[in-house]
Amino acid sequence: MSITKNTIELRGVSKSYPLGKSKVPIFDELTMTIEDGDFVAIMGPSGSGKSTILNLIGGIDTIDSGAISVGGTVLGRLNEGALTRWRSNNVGFVFQFYNLMPMLSAAENVELPLLLTSLSRSERKKRVETILEIVGLTERAGHLPSELSGGQQQRVGIARAVAADPQILLCDEPTGDLDRKSANEILELLQLLNTKLNKTIIMVTHDESSTAYAKRTLFLDKGRFIQKELIKCA
Amino acid sequence: MRVGSSMLVRQNLTRKLGRSILLVICIGIAFFVFGVLSSFRAGFEGSEANSERLVIASKIGGNETLPLRYFQQLGSMSEIAAITHVTRLRAHTAGNPRNIIGANAVDAESYARVYADTYDFNENIMQAFKADRTATLVGRQLAEREGWSVGDRVNLTSFVHMTQEGSPDWSFVVAGLLDGAEPTVDTNFLIVRYDYFNAALLRNQDRVNLFGVKPTVGMDINVLAENIDMTFANSTAQTRTQSETAFMSAFLEQFADVALIVKLIVSVAFGTILLIVANTMIFAIRERTLEIGVLKVLGFSGSRIMRIILTETLVLFTAGLALGFALTAAVIPSLANALSSVVPDLYLTQRVIATSVGLAVVFALLTGFLPAIKALRLPVATALNHR
Repeated sequence: MSITKNTIELRGVSKSYPLGKSKVPIFDELTMTIEDGDFVAIMGPSGSGKSTILNLIGGIDTIDSGAISVGGTVLGRLNEGALTRWRSNNVGFVFQFYNLMPMLSAAENVELPLLLTSLSRSERKKRVETILEIVGLTERAGHLPSELSGGQQQRVGIARAVAADPQILLCDEPTGDLDRKSANEILELLQLLNTKLNKTIIMVTHDESSTAYAKRTLFLDKGRFIQKELIKCA
Repeated sequence: MRVGSSMLVRQNLTRKLGRSILLVICIGIAFFVFGVLSSFRAGFEGSEANSERLVIASKIGGNETLPLRYFQQLGSMSEIAAITHVTRLRAHTAGNPRNIIGANAVDAESYARVYADTYDFNENIMQAFKADRTATLVGRQLAEREGWSVGDRVNLTSFVHMTQEGSPDWSFVVAGLLDGAEPTVDTNFLIVRYDYFNAALLRNQDRVNLFGVKPTVGMDINVLAENIDMTFANSTAQTRTQSETAFMSAFLEQFADVALIVKLIVSVAFGTILLIVANTMIFAIRERTLEIGVLKVLGFSGSRIMRIILTETLVLFTAGLALGFALTAAVIPSLANALSSVVPDLYLTQRVIATSVGLAVVFALLTGFLPAIKALRLPVATALNHR
């Protein structure tokens, strides 16, 4: 397997959570590699550690041992500030419940990550318009999240995730709160971002039909991948 | 903070508009209380009280007198640039004992020298004052209050001073109206000529209530005050020399410790407000735990989020301060009118405004600091699990 520019590597990663005085292990010596431009679906029962993998790769949670590197950057060696900057430049998150700012319009929500860039106000506005057009929400730019359907809110969430043009998209059950039709539209949009813009997408899901949109699927149970690459799309 | 982050501040403040408005009203009332009480205190003490000038009074108390001969003795001291003397008439308008008038018998020339930077002693009124022994210069505010004009006769009745005929009634002719050097200077008083007053007194002649001293430039007023008091330490009429500001404060403390009362009320008001705002902000931040987590995921640093929260409290306090100033400015004129005989100099001073602004900034940072620190330390993964 070749190591490309943004290859994600987990080597011997162990992670546990404290429960009272004891610790509940999530992973033990977990190793995996995700190539640049891959679209990976991760399935598994609740509590298997699916979301934790996303948090670790996105640098919002820390490991007990092992190493996670993205494109050669070892996350554990970055301090809080450097990790925050790295995340804003390289990773976009898509959440199950969208997590939009309720008092900001769709356009303002998409603009949020751009506030951290050096883009001028007019450049930000242009970028937001372009992204909203890609996700099909130009007409809804001025609407608050409460005025949008679940599918539309998730489109805003995806637009926000890609606004700063990160290479990696981490999607935590992005269709978990949507009806089938809206879910398929979101999955098509993610697939489009993967195939057309070569974004690396890691998607955690409970929905087996969603995995059809990914290039491969990993099954996680009790902290281990039990059956790799069950489905592989052409 | 970059301009773009202002939309987050706006979002947070308008999310529960009613709560934000109530907080602003709460803060506004605190600054209103502070503004009115501080202005009241400043007005009570007299804003024209000058810490560069000294007041010499009897060591025994404000009602005691000092011999006039000190005037010459003090005037010869090289550390003193100008000196004058003042004797209070302690009078009310004839027939109305409740209408107390601030009336002082003074030496025109020396009085004008010492208080030249406080009142407008122009040549015209000085000539008119000197031309008639029964002349009085009436402060413009007092003249307007009593409806007096130049040429009018002012009849006063003294509580303590009798004429040689044994009457407490004194009569003066308005020779001119006295203005302050600044519009804010209190002119709710009148002055009469000491030479006439002293000559007409039945008893206690050649005695004065106090001396006003203008030290030479660069003179340490504390040293001078000590020197003056030392000079009369072994006399039958010992002196107590203080700055004008200290003298006014001490004078007021005979009635009540206004400063302490103001401090107590303001402290209680601000302490309460501080707790309310800090508590509300902590709850507001707790409500936004998930959003703070999302912001951190998007790449907002803890310090940036902290600045957003501090800006929120600054905006709240700025709005509250503006409301407080507006209320104070609206109320003070009518208060000043109603209390003109007690607090002749009641207005919103620049010092009160500056102090209010300083307090607003300090309290905004204090109340914002705790929730801001909590947000700064919040682990992202923990925040994202918060619903």
